[in-house]
Amino acid sequence: MTLIRNQVLFTLVIAAAVAVALSGFVGYAPNRLVSGRPVSLWAAASFPATFAILAIGVLLFAACFASRGRPLHYAEAGLAVALLLLVLAAAGQAASLLTPGVRPAGRISLGAAFWVLACCSALAVADALQRLDAGPALRVIAVAAIVAGIVALSIAGMFDALSIVREYATRRQLFADAMLRHITLVAGSVGPAIAIGFPLGVAAARKPALQNPLFAVLNLLQTIPSIALFGLLIFPLVALARAVPWLAAIGVGGIGVAPAIVALVLYALLPIVRNTSAGIAGVDPAVIESARGMGLTQRQIFRQVELPLALPVLLAGLRIVTVQAIGLAVVAALIGAGGLGTFVFEGLGQYAVDLVLLGALPAIFLALAADFVLQTLSTVLRRHG
Amino acid sequence: MQQLIGLLFGTVVTLLSAGVAAAETKIVVASKIDTEGALLGSMIVALLEAHGLAVENKLQLGPTNIVRAAILAGQIDIYPEYTGNGALFFHLEQDPVWKDWTKGAAKVAALDREQNRLAWLAAAPGNNTWTIALRQDLAERHNLKTMGDLAKYLAGGGAIKLAASAEFVESPAALPAFETTYGFHLKDAQLLTLSGGNTSATLRAAAEGTSGVNAAMAYGTDGALAALGLTALEDDKGAQVVYAPAPIVREAVLQQHPEIAKLLDPVFATLTLETLQQLNAKIAVEGEDAGAVAAAYLKSQHFLP
Repeated sequence: MTLIRNQVLFTLVIAAAVAVALSGFVGYAPNRLVSGRPVSLWAAASFPATFAILAIGVLLFAACFASRGRPLHYAEAGLAVALLLLVLAAAGQAASLLTPGVRPAGRISLGAAFWVLACCSALAVADALQRLDAGPALRVIAVAAIVAGIVALSIAGMFDALSIVREYATRRQLFADAMLRHITLVAGSVGPAIAIGFPLGVAAARKPALQNPLFAVLNLLQTIPSIALFGLLIFPLVALARAVPWLAAIGVGGIGVAPAIVALVLYALLPIVRNTSAGIAGVDPAVIESARGMGLTQRQIFRQVELPLALPVLLAGLRIVTVQAIGLAVVAALIGAGGLGTFVFEGLGQYAVDLVLLGALPAIFLALAADFVLQTLSTVLRRHG
Repeated sequence: MQQLIGLLFGTVVTLLSAGVAAAETKIVVASKIDTEGALLGSMIVALLEAHGLAVENKLQLGPTNIVRAAILAGQIDIYPEYTGNGALFFHLEQDPVWKDWTKGAAKVAALDREQNRLAWLAAAPGNNTWTIALRQDLAERHNLKTMGDLAKYLAGGGAIKLAASAEFVESPAALPAFETTYGFHLKDAQLLTLSGGNTSATLRAAAEGTSGVNAAMAYGTDGALAALGLTALEDDKGAQVVYAPAPIVREAVLQQHPEIAKLLDPVFATLTLETLQQLNAKIAVEGEDAGAVAAAYLKSQHFLP
């Protein structure tokens, strides 16, 4: 067992190899409603692409047995990034190679082997960065390299024949609107949630007696299923819009953006209040005591001592609510709020899996991007704090 | 200072009332979040816009209950609905009137006019009701075209395995209505019940022969039938509630723009079962955009220049 020096990478390489050997890299379906017939990597992609994927796989496999060191981990990171991009390119290439033999309604979708290969390469990148103990700069470089590669491949039209891209191509404008609306919903709910939740959290840290009732209410809100909360908000908001005509004029009503944002704010409160209160309460009393001894006022202590020390915990709360809001906003499509969920529910209704993915994948990427940015921010702040 | 506040307040009020006025002149068009809703809604949007009316597009707003709540609250002005859903809206599921094409349409129109000040425009001749679709190979081999044919086939010991939602199997208006009208009975072993399953799941099961399924619950105007190699049985004795699509408009909006009815009625009159199936198929099977399919159809029929 000591022979294998990197067991994580070893597991990933084996998993990817098994997936490629046993399952389809892409699926070929005569139209977008029926399940695809799986086509293996070697049958779908060109020989050079298949060979290159195999070669990188062998190199990564060999790396599992090499003696550790920073150069090795750099090499692993580089190879894994290359593999990820190569797998994406091979999928696009496979789709365009298979397309001429396909009827106009025919679809080439991404298969199980593709998803396993892509995930394993992404995890291999993460593993190598972990072993390098990479700082924010190196992580940003790695992500930028992957993003730049994907953008370059898309501009070159590499993915145009894939089913999910064809779903996108018929609704470019709708997609742009939905993406913008999704981001609006998230930003429009996280902002007010901080404005309400932060003071509540500080209050809870100062007055522990407040914590029990406050957290009881917030916990209760968190347990209401999202679709039920969206539905429950329709009638109070309709009544509100009837009573206050100018609210109705600016678009507040029982359906659409207003109930979605209200529900998302309610869900965001618990993590924000809890993390704010934990962050502030977690500051060492000795530090506050010495600040007081230095003659700082209560206000100065809060702004110059407590807040900076609590910041990592506050940012962790912000990360949780942002990622949570991006996911929950998908369901908001059911009450007319629009956003990426529109494609998810339209696709579910038609059983068109690629249309579901057109809504789900961007939501996942938004969540990953938000998580990455906030995590990097919090690391940077911690180092400079 | 007080004058300044007064001025600011005045400006805000003026702007807001201007906003109200602008919001009132735009006609808000919505639809349900499904293929046919997107298709019919896109037609309404295109026709109103071509006539120079200001339109706000809220297509694919949500499921039936949300769209219905929205029009009752006055948040949307027009959307396509099905005549048979009057049974659901007014809790008259037991009333046989919904099985009658003209009486059902007249009943729901009268109820909505009296209770909700909503106007039903002319309904399309296509009927998007529950039906049973068979695999084409099975239908051709035994020459099965109507529900009556299916009953005879079953009486002769024919093999059927029907994929359906729990609602279709249990709701008295669905499968049990077929069984009593045509005199057959499906045993549990002849059913594959998907709780909460929709037609796309059942059609796919029949098309791919999952677990021996060769028949599926379906909607009449479903675009996927032909592409999946399925054929819908005709309900020749009218066992089912009629679900004919028609635009419903708030009366206040219709009084302001009476031309809406003149614009939409002739178009809906052309939407037969076959036409709706073909147009839905372009969206659901070939993945074309609903707006583009609607516009192309309206142009081909010379409703749009």
